[in-house]
Amino acid sequence: MVKLAFEHRQAGHCESGVTRNLLNYHHFKISEPMAFGIGAGLFFSYLPFLKMQHAPTTSFRVWPGQVFDRATRELGVKTAVHTFRNPKDSMDKLNEVLEQGYPVGLQVGTFHLPFFPPEYRMHYNMHNMIVYGHENGTYFISDTLMENLVEINYEDLMRVRFAKGAFAPQGRMYYPTHVPARIDIKPAIVKGIRKTANNMVGIPFPLIGVKGIRYLAGRMRKWEKKLGEAKASYYLGQVLRMEEEVGTAGAGFRFIYGAFLEEASTVLNQPWLRELSFEMGENANSWREFSYLGSRNCKKRGKPDQSYDFLADMLIEIANREEKIFKKLSTIK
Amino acid sequence: MRDTNSEANGKMTSDNELIYKYNRELFYHFDKDKGFTQKVDYQNPNNQVIIKQGWDAAEQRLDEVRQLVIQGKASPIAYYMEKILMEVPMLAAYMEIPKWRVKRHLKSKVFKKIKPETLVKYASVFEITVEELKHPGFLK
Repeated sequence: MVKLAFEHRQAGHCESGVTRNLLNYHHFKISEPMAFGIGAGLFFSYLPFLKMQHAPTTSFRVWPGQVFDRATRELGVKTAVHTFRNPKDSMDKLNEVLEQGYPVGLQVGTFHLPFFPPEYRMHYNMHNMIVYGHENGTYFISDTLMENLVEINYEDLMRVRFAKGAFAPQGRMYYPTHVPARIDIKPAIVKGIRKTANNMVGIPFPLIGVKGIRYLAGRMRKWEKKLGEAKASYYLGQVLRMEEEVGTAGAGFRFIYGAFLEEASTVLNQPWLRELSFEMGENANSWREFSYLGSRNCKKRGKPDQSYDFLADMLIEIANREEKIFKKLSTIK
Repeated sequence: MRDTNSEANGKMTSDNELIYKYNRELFYHFDKDKGFTQKVDYQNPNNQVIIKQGWDAAEQRLDEVRQLVIQGKASPIAYYMEKILMEVPMLAAYMEIPKWRVKRHLKSKVFKKIKPETLVKYASVFEITVEELKHPGFLK
């Protein structure tokens, strides 16, 4: 049996929270927004040809696993990452690492996660949580979405680690093995900001970054005519679900990113970042307003309360604002 | 622009009851005077509406498939697939067979010819008995 002295802290975003909690365990103090910003987690993409739950995929974040990978790499933290073919091997390895005294991050599917809020139990394979011990086939879990510590049994854990379908976790486990005593966080912050700025305004492809937001706005104007009221509202709902739920801490990570910029301004001693963090905060509030007004279209079988043109105009305004912010951010030194 | 924070968290509750109260999550907020803050709370009511929309749509799809099965236009596999919220690619991954085979199995004519061992596997993925798979309760 092992039960590490692990401090459970909730977080807005599962992977950034897991990264923070794991690094904190190894005595490196870092906040959730910092982990998210250095990991360059913010993104936008709208992929109409890729359907998820019968609607086009909208994403406000980068590929799963990138936040932990990037953040630890930029900070010079040594990590171990394993994936498995054989479920039993993955559990043996987990036990072994726990017994060596390392809490472990796991990528899991949420559909069979027994402690998960029922309203979120969909086939979502990109959730992250931490195991910090086990005893007689019961595993002790710290999940940043949950208010309290939780437990899961051997069979269930094996099952969620080997959920199948898109982004199948394949038993993925990861943990820091060596955290340097001194870490210079400044270059990591600058690199993280540059990466995100490039993702948002530097890639000449119409479906991602700021261009992606504009593209979504253009498509949205045609939804009602093309798909009818009910389906249009379902498509809109899907965008809003990705924006406000599944661990974004609200407004598609824009709040977390604003908090990161504010902290970065202090650490780097660059006051202009503070102004931009406030811009980002206002921008996040615009996203929240968008989801608030949009959610009314999702009631009453999709009878639109706001016209889709109006909502699309809001998105264009948001895109313009984000373009300004990220163009400025891309000049960071 | 209006202050959505107070609106979303305060006034909305009067005409909108909370639907999901299982777990409180951590949310970030921003306000010009207070800066960025964090608060642990239930999802606000208008976001809960959006979550519910997703589940309602799933239920409606299930109803539609049920009708198709009753009319003999789809196999019970189509019904149970919808019931556990899967689509063909994911079910194929769980079944460890190609997608085109799963697609075929959704037809009621093909369903009758599926080998018993394949049915056993379907039943285990759906967490039901083979009997339930062959004769879903709503058909009786």
